[in-house]
Amino acid sequence: MTSALEQDLLALTRAGLKEEARYRTIPRIRWPDGVRMAVNFTADFDAMLLRRLMNEPPMQLAKGEFGGRVGIWRLIELFDHHDIKATIFTPGRIRELYPDALRAAHASGHEIADHMWEHWVPGDAVLEEDHLLKTAAALAEITGARPVGTRSGHSLSLLKREGFLYTSHDCAGHLPYYIRDAAGETEMLNLPFHYAIDDAMFYSFSWLGSPNAAQRITDTGRVMELWWDAFLQQYHDGGYLNICLHPFVSGRAQRIDMLDDLITRMKRMPGVWMPRCADVARHCLATHP
Amino acid sequence: MPWKDGYTISDEKTRGDHQVTWPGGRRCCVSITVDLSVASGPEGITAADLASPKAQFGLRDGLSHLKETLDQFGLKATFAVPAVMAKLQAHSLRILTQEGHEIAAEGFRHEDVSRLTREEEAERIQLTTRVLSDITGRRPSGWFSLPRHGDPYGVGTISPDTMDLLIDAGYRYYGNGLADDIPHHWVTDAATGRSMLTMPYYYHYDDQWFSLFPAAGTGLEHTASLFRNWSAEFKAQYRRGRHFHMTLHPYASGFAHRLRLLQRFFQNMVSHEGIWNVTAEDVVSHWYEIDPSPQLSACIWRNYPGSLS
Repeated sequence: MTSALEQDLLALTRAGLKEEARYRTIPRIRWPDGVRMAVNFTADFDAMLLRRLMNEPPMQLAKGEFGGRVGIWRLIELFDHHDIKATIFTPGRIRELYPDALRAAHASGHEIADHMWEHWVPGDAVLEEDHLLKTAAALAEITGARPVGTRSGHSLSLLKREGFLYTSHDCAGHLPYYIRDAAGETEMLNLPFHYAIDDAMFYSFSWLGSPNAAQRITDTGRVMELWWDAFLQQYHDGGYLNICLHPFVSGRAQRIDMLDDLITRMKRMPGVWMPRCADVARHCLATHP
Repeated sequence: MPWKDGYTISDEKTRGDHQVTWPGGRRCCVSITVDLSVASGPEGITAADLASPKAQFGLRDGLSHLKETLDQFGLKATFAVPAVMAKLQAHSLRILTQEGHEIAAEGFRHEDVSRLTREEEAERIQLTTRVLSDITGRRPSGWFSLPRHGDPYGVGTISPDTMDLLIDAGYRYYGNGLADDIPHHWVTDAATGRSMLTMPYYYHYDDQWFSLFPAAGTGLEHTASLFRNWSAEFKAQYRRGRHFHMTLHPYASGFAHRLRLLQRFFQNMVSHEGIWNVTAEDVVSHWYEIDPSPQLSACIWRNYPGSLS
């Protein structure tokens, strides 16, 4: 008879192996000819929707509104100025709040991808499906085509059925990797983004209700140092970086200047590919199925 | 916009840089808010707040050093003053008014008004307006509700009635909004276009979040970061020809090394051509001329079962 401790060891080993089995890495990624590294600029365009969902007070909503009134326009202008293509992850509901901004982003060749209907994934499967279909239809009204990417916790089987090619969520590896759902049935490509490369972690007071004692709001000089180093490390490795921005955060004037500086420096390095997430996804699916 | 009650407060798109113009062809507007409240949390100024040596430092030494620094660079500021503080600082407020600074209201005791009924809030607005008018000899035209150190969000608190009540009470602007970095319309009724201009605020340019925040402890003094934020934002706004705004607290920026940082920042700022530094009241008067009303388009929001309404 095994001891309780030995049973724990066995159970945890099984649990760990089961989780490990959900991930399939792409060991050495082959980027297109002439490309050394891929960088995806992504913007989670929820404006005040998440603040509204969390029942935050009026000034918090106004803080989010900056993203729709000001920030998204500045980001589009910045990306267009540098002739790079970004991915805008958008809750379906944004079409009813900022349709002009979405049309402008699409007209500039940026990808419009799913970021849930109202920034949450219902636990009820029928409602979840309803939300995903509503978002796909809302975004298709803007772009003429259904989205192929998502930044959400939607179930992979539903996403696959609806023609999605990739998710961009979590960071279990530097490079794009394949992830299976908990049942082990559906596999999907994930383009990882790391919280350290997310503007909201540095500039957003009380992110997701975090308490005052946890706030260390900082400046663009410091974030520039961190992100440039992250870029250099991945450049050296021929890897990948997904830079997660929020229009209500990075749309502030000094942060647009910082991003302008960052992109200018990246473009000076040979072989940096800055396409839409869908382009990276299609490349990975074709070359590393 | 497509307007949406309970979600948006202004029109769909900001004014582009080329549509932002300042009197006399000046390039960039600079507005400075000085917060004279000593409230530490949502309940507003308490006797314990007034008893703290930190507050006393701000009211005495801090304020006089801060004022000296503004004078040194010829800068004008808007002082946000709760009725309770106006009583305590009547003499200073008269001098500030005489010297061309603006005195604006900041609540009765700088409390979180979302906890009050509409009637209670209206009564406090009325009393505060009277107290400030009696002391300075002129009716305040601006109302602030700046965030306090102990608030859960660094944005300031209002109630669903605040803007409406302020319009009724004859206020011309609200002092600290976050939906833009230039003055913008806060709409209270989309059908009639009833609205009031709002001056921008942003926590990264507010000294309190960098000065021993959230409390004394190890390594929590980040004023160098504040200086970099001011400098980078000023540079960006100057390039765009828009508006730079900062919020100062006498207890914070009025102290020793922080004064030096502030002086260094001002030194650089005033060396730029075409700065238009005036009080918020004057910025707002100009803005009503170039942008008199919000441009709203009809709501296209729909209600669906299982969705936010």
